[in-house]
Amino acid sequence: MLTLTSPVETWLHRCPAGVKLAALAAVTVGLISMEGLVGPSLALVAVGALYLSCGLLRYGLRSLLPLWPFLLVLAVWHGWTGTLAEGGTVALRLITAVAAANLVTMTTRLTDMVTVLERLAGPLRHLGLPPRTLALALALVIRFIPVLSDRISTLRFAWAARSARRAGWAILVPTTLAALDDADRVAEALRARGGAG
Amino acid sequence: MERSVTHVALFAALVAVLGLVPQIALPGGVPVTAQSLGIMLCGTVLGARRGALAVGLFLLLVALGLPILTGGRGGLGVFAGPSVGFLLGFPVAAFVAGLVTERAALPIGWAAAAGAFLGGIVVLYVLGAAGWALMLGKSMAEVQVFLLGFLPGDLIKVALAGLITRSVARMRPGSLLSRPA
Amino acid sequence: MLGTGAGRCACDAGTFRLKGLEEVSPPSVAPGLLLDAVGYGVAGRPILSGLSAHLTERRIGIVGRNGSGKTSLLRLMAGLVRPTTGQVRVDGIDPAGDRKAVIRRLGLLFQNPDHQIIFPTVEEEIAFGLRQQGRSDAEARSRARAVLAAEGRAHWASAPVQTLSQGQRQYLCLMAVLAMEPSTLLLDEPFAALDLPTRARLERRLAGLPQRLVVISHDPAVLAGMDRVLWLEGGRLHLDGPAAEVLDAFSGAMIRAGEADADTDIPG
Repeated sequence: MLTLTSPVETWLHRCPAGVKLAALAAVTVGLISMEGLVGPSLALVAVGALYLSCGLLRYGLRSLLPLWPFLLVLAVWHGWTGTLAEGGTVALRLITAVAAANLVTMTTRLTDMVTVLERLAGPLRHLGLPPRTLALALALVIRFIPVLSDRISTLRFAWAARSARRAGWAILVPTTLAALDDADRVAEALRARGGAG
Repeated sequence: MERSVTHVALFAALVAVLGLVPQIALPGGVPVTAQSLGIMLCGTVLGARRGALAVGLFLLLVALGLPILTGGRGGLGVFAGPSVGFLLGFPVAAFVAGLVTERAALPIGWAAAAGAFLGGIVVLYVLGAAGWALMLGKSMAEVQVFLLGFLPGDLIKVALAGLITRSVARMRPGSLLSRPA
Repeated sequence: MLGTGAGRCACDAGTFRLKGLEEVSPPSVAPGLLLDAVGYGVAGRPILSGLSAHLTERRIGIVGRNGSGKTSLLRLMAGLVRPTTGQVRVDGIDPAGDRKAVIRRLGLLFQNPDHQIIFPTVEEEIAFGLRQQGRSDAEARSRARAVLAAEGRAHWASAPVQTLSQGQRQYLCLMAVLAMEPSTLLLDEPFAALDLPTRARLERRLAGLPQRLVVISHDPAVLAGMDRVLWLEGGRLHLDGPAAEVLDAFSGAMIRAGEADADTDIPG
């Protein structure tokens, strides 16, 4: 399954996932309390340096693109009200936080994230969620994303075979039914193999 | 037990897949992104608890780094950005949608639409706006105007959630976990 | 089984090509299905290559193993996907380009009715295609009911699809397609999920159809009565000719393949 992890190995890839997540948490908390322009700018430069050291700077900049509408709104708003410095702080904090979080995602493999998750989810056992069940649920989702995707494709073809127009919302009904039917079938298969607990 | 797990997992996969499909065309010609509709359906079809768990599981996979948010987005970055209110609001929206669908003394289609409205619009917009306010350093009152842009599309999705849930109920009477036969 | 027994195509057994392809009139007016050096791949992976054939017979079969590209070929012919190279023409029309014209000429029956039926009731499912062809809601509905009545199944109209058996659902798909009055029917493994009596019934129904039928199957027995059979192997046209000849060669090859312990390569 395609993930957002960078396929190119960097030194951060070798850093343990737990360490990176803890650092990210610290950075995010730290950013919240930073005022003015100097602090957040330095933080952004530091994060940028990390990207550079991994050779991921261009990829990192591209993954910040979804922020542009918000930055535009901030620019217009604060420009209009003459509070550009305040706007700058908000923008810098936002960009730094998102960039730092993206960097963790880019340099941490899915399996490593899942391992951390399993450790963190250990205590949930007492709330009725065995870690094995969570692992099973994750595996099922990843397994069935392509299955449901194929089903929607097939339904789109079935629609296109009788219509020159693009498929409408009606194909979501058999899609939902497919999800329900597959859920029943897999539950049966699980029970036959010893259960999900 | 197994049935709960598989329903939660399959619907999490459904929400993911609905982020990957191109926009669904509507009679009026307004294309809508299907993922938020999927989130409403988790609640209206699976009920409050399982619906919320399904969406929560979906979010977990987003956090782990799968690009399954509409537009191929994902990873921890989206939780650090301005849309975090909407993201964390998704499971709450599903829960409310499911609760209303389960409890409302209305035919299933209307109950599902009411649930989708209360969960997918009322509750979600409040949480989403709160997220915007927090991340952009504004007040709730200042950001709420931007919600208007989502309203037309989301109202259509509310109607669709009602229609789809009703069809599903008719075709699989035993499987509608929000209203066990 | 499905054919009328008549019709041979002029095939040059040595090169496995239709003799006299050069004599065919220019693509823009040729009736029938035309494949002109068609290639098709997905995400860089080649699925079909170098397919050329002009299909004008009334009963045409396409045989091949699973994974040989048969379903992709069907989708290309129906215009559901575009070829990567080469051209596909249906009665001179580009099926992927002119969708409105093609849905009037071509009907498609998929393998699994559950993957094809979109609407909850029988009447709605049949009326859908009719509406897409431009009829009004009321017209489409009344024509759907007429189609059901003509098949002796008027009582099916408001039935939920859920209550139909597998064979009945396949029949519903057939009725929905026939209601649109296509001149050619493309069928993908039509009998795969059916029990023997249902299969016999569907075979009879199909054999009686005036339309051109193009049937895909991995089972030679299904295609025994065809006028012409194309054998797809590894995405290429391996053999193209009269049914008996091609199916004989195919069966022989399949038996030999089954005796070897292979199929260890992962296709994806």
